[in-house]
Amino acid sequence: MLKLLQFILHIRLFSYFTFKRRALVGCFLLTLFLCINSNAWSNEQPEIVVNSGVTENNVSGNVLRSIFSMRLKTWTDGTKIRVFVLADDDQLHQVVAKEKLNVFPYQLRSTWDRLVFSGTGQAPIKVNSNEEMLAKIASTPGAIGYLWRANINESVNVLQIK
Amino acid sequence: MMLAGSVSAQAQPETGSPQEFRPLQSLSNWFKTSELPAEATGVEDNKKKPGWVSSAINRFRNNELPGDLQIHGFVTQAYIATSDNDVFGNSDKGGSFGLTEAALNASARPLPKLQISAQVLSRRAGEGNTGMPRLDYAFLDYQVYSHEADQFGIRVGRLKNPFGFYNDTRDVAFTRPGILLPQSIYFDRTRNLGLSGDSVQLYGEKAISNWGTISTQFGVFWPIVSDKDTESSVVLDHRRPGSLNREASYIGRGIFETNDKRLRLGISGVWLNTSYDPSFHSLDPLGPGSFQFTPIYFSAQYNTEKWSLTSEYAIRNISYNDKFGNKFLLNGKSSVGESYYFQGEYRFTPRWEGFVRYDAYFADRNDRDGSQFAHDFAAIGAIAHTRFAKDITVGLRWNVTPEFMLRAEYHHVNGTGWLSRLDNPTAVGTTQHWDLFGILASYRF
Repeated sequence: MLKLLQFILHIRLFSYFTFKRRALVGCFLLTLFLCINSNAWSNEQPEIVVNSGVTENNVSGNVLRSIFSMRLKTWTDGTKIRVFVLADDDQLHQVVAKEKLNVFPYQLRSTWDRLVFSGTGQAPIKVNSNEEMLAKIASTPGAIGYLWRANINESVNVLQIK
Repeated sequence: MMLAGSVSAQAQPETGSPQEFRPLQSLSNWFKTSELPAEATGVEDNKKKPGWVSSAINRFRNNELPGDLQIHGFVTQAYIATSDNDVFGNSDKGGSFGLTEAALNASARPLPKLQISAQVLSRRAGEGNTGMPRLDYAFLDYQVYSHEADQFGIRVGRLKNPFGFYNDTRDVAFTRPGILLPQSIYFDRTRNLGLSGDSVQLYGEKAISNWGTISTQFGVFWPIVSDKDTESSVVLDHRRPGSLNREASYIGRGIFETNDKRLRLGISGVWLNTSYDPSFHSLDPLGPGSFQFTPIYFSAQYNTEKWSLTSEYAIRNISYNDKFGNKFLLNGKSSVGESYYFQGEYRFTPRWEGFVRYDAYFADRNDRDGSQFAHDFAAIGAIAHTRFAKDITVGLRWNVTPEFMLRAEYHHVNGTGWLSRLDNPTAVGTTQHWDLFGILASYRF
């Protein structure tokens, strides 16, 4: 009788803990899911990236605009700035223009065209994919461009905007 | 564990999809855009083979070039039909393909702060431009000072004359608003005089705290005066036996731009000098007179994602000294002309844009309807409507791909003030109220 009671209690406790464990696992998985989800959200963030040889870690918004307007031509140590961009209708290009540079993509295009066809500046170098962007930034001295956070690896540096 | 499975199954597509799909999407977009021009060319202009050209350009760009060499250019062909009067050829007899523009430019940065740029331009447009290629610009640009967003430098060589929003790139169909620029400010009649000159210019960019940037250019230049259109405009006839001299002239422009480039405000001024050198070999009725053209331009633009509103105003001082020997038409004559336009551009989508514009030109602001002029020069058959032009324009632009663009526009014009005198040699043969329709195709790389 006692043994039976013990047995029942055991089962009850077992099922209680199993349930609790399941709930814990559930909780854990839910947190994980949320983490992954927020990770996914942060992976969709655009970042300004530079060649690992670039000594600047951060620049002001004015300097960043001046770089992408192709007016600022050298880094503080004197190396050439080389600007890489995706096509005007690329989603990342549009997000970077609006959120990082605070201008519309058509305005960047008209700024660059004015420079190229009056000879007073050069156009940024166009790449056709995120992979090409990463490869060019990693391999070109003084290069600057942009990538989704998910596509960034240790071959390039992220430039912070002050 | 079932719960775990379902959660992870849910989580996977959410984390995986955005990054996996984007490159594919952009890749397919890229293919779409690169395929389109090849289809479109057959219709418009058989000179352009964008598919072939762009693949050649891509191959060329993928090779690392020394000194950051860049090559760009464009080809434009327009068809213009007018109800009366001639614009770029015999346009009132069933229209003409009289406007062709093409340019090729190269730039390099042999040193981080030194840029060399040159462009050759060919323009075939009526009697005034035969299509003979000319050196549009060729200069050295050295950035002397650079700190944060502030830069100062010097440019030496043949430079585009910076005035208004559009003069520097007026021949590039992609950068100008319309097939024809607002003619009141950017006359095509005397374009060569204002286009570029041999020049020394100082330039600067200065950030004004967090508001925006001021860009300035100032310089001395020797204008290019050796063409028929300029002669015909300055000394009223391009068959004069003498020639125009190049004299030191001055130009400057300042543009303030807010950081988001929404608001752009500009002021520019030109002090252009030239003089007439009479021929000693033949009896030249004209003496060695000098001529000054001193316009001031005010420019303003407001941009939103969909809209761009632009307006420019010019007040133009023209004066002849009293040494021309032609008392009736030239000696001591001076006048103050006035021009302005209002323009609204609307981007329906990034590919489709429309615009409307009202553009007004008055040769003499004190005689806006030309009646005084017609009265004073009745003896030589002067006509009032040659002294003004009021142009209402509507137009459409289709960016077929980033490299290929089509335009169509319609003008209704009252007055013939900016018509080319070479294309329309007698004012008597011109019509006051006239219409112009144009289409244009342009390819760039």
